[in-house]
Amino acid sequence: MTKLAATARTEFGKGAARRTRRAGLVPAVLYGHGTDPVHVALPGHQTFLALKTTNVLLEIELDGKTELAIARDVQRDPIRDSIEHVDLLIVRKGEKVIVEVPVHVVGESAPGTIHLVDLQQLSIEAEATNLPEAIEVSVEGLEAGTNIFAADVTLPEGASLVSDPELLVASVTVPQTSSEDEAAEADEAAEAPAAAAPAEGEPAEG
Amino acid sequence: MLIPRRVKHRKQHHPGRSGAAKGGTSIAFGDFGIQALEPAYVTNRQIEAARIAMTRHIKRGGKVWINIYPDRPLTKKPAETRMGSGKGSPEWWVANVKPGRVVFELAGVPEELAREAMRRAQHKLPMKTRFVVREGGA
Repeated sequence: MTKLAATARTEFGKGAARRTRRAGLVPAVLYGHGTDPVHVALPGHQTFLALKTTNVLLEIELDGKTELAIARDVQRDPIRDSIEHVDLLIVRKGEKVIVEVPVHVVGESAPGTIHLVDLQQLSIEAEATNLPEAIEVSVEGLEAGTNIFAADVTLPEGASLVSDPELLVASVTVPQTSSEDEAAEADEAAEAPAAAAPAEGEPAEG
Repeated sequence: MLIPRRVKHRKQHHPGRSGAAKGGTSIAFGDFGIQALEPAYVTNRQIEAARIAMTRHIKRGGKVWINIYPDRPLTKKPAETRMGSGKGSPEWWVANVKPGRVVFELAGVPEELAREAMRRAQHKLPMKTRFVVREGGA
């Protein structure tokens, strides 16, 4: 659990939000459990460090009161990677919440095969105070053609699956060789002169 | 080489260069990626050259995703032609890439190999880029 001291925001809009960010703070909103949304500003660096952990439980201190919250949505600048805004969802001890948890593949599949992660995140329902950082999926020794579905994934204790159990999470395949790639290029080259009737493969209009 | 099969209009205005990418700014499929840091028109030849550089280096294994598509035609008037007489003929197909866009993704290889493969691909691209790793670890 990470403690963050929040201050209430009194001015709103992009000008105010930019002033808040310039002051080294992160604009955020705190809501949940039927309460009115509270607009707050969080300390920028501490928030950045806290949110490096997936589904981290935050303890927000505001006006002498403390609320437990999880980050429901984090808006980041795609270039600078700085946090622009955070949506905080109020949670209670023992309450179950639905969160997205990243899938981590562990182990090595059979020699000559590779594993591909088809679903990067799984939706699960778990206790708010005990949310997993990641779900581990083992591909140790699996042969080519093996598929791991959401229903096959071992979830942490107390967690239940929300995603469709038939979703493909990971698969083990034989990698495409460079010779196959070259063969594909040769095929393309062979096809090109035949199809190049409209001036060098120019797309048809209409 | 990537090229649209059929287009509604053969010649278009130049695509806008301002602003940052609105979507496709995080890794969606693979474990590693190349993220654009500048706006650029990336031609289908550059995309193909980068893809080949990457796949040749990783030799066996791995899967490559290309997240951009060259769907905008650019025209050029022939050399030593007087101005006027209409717009030139389509010469290139480009993808209009904005800063923040993840251009290529790669999975199924160790990080060191992915870094080197993507470094080679980065040299084929016309803008500043950086190597990125999927959030939450590979």
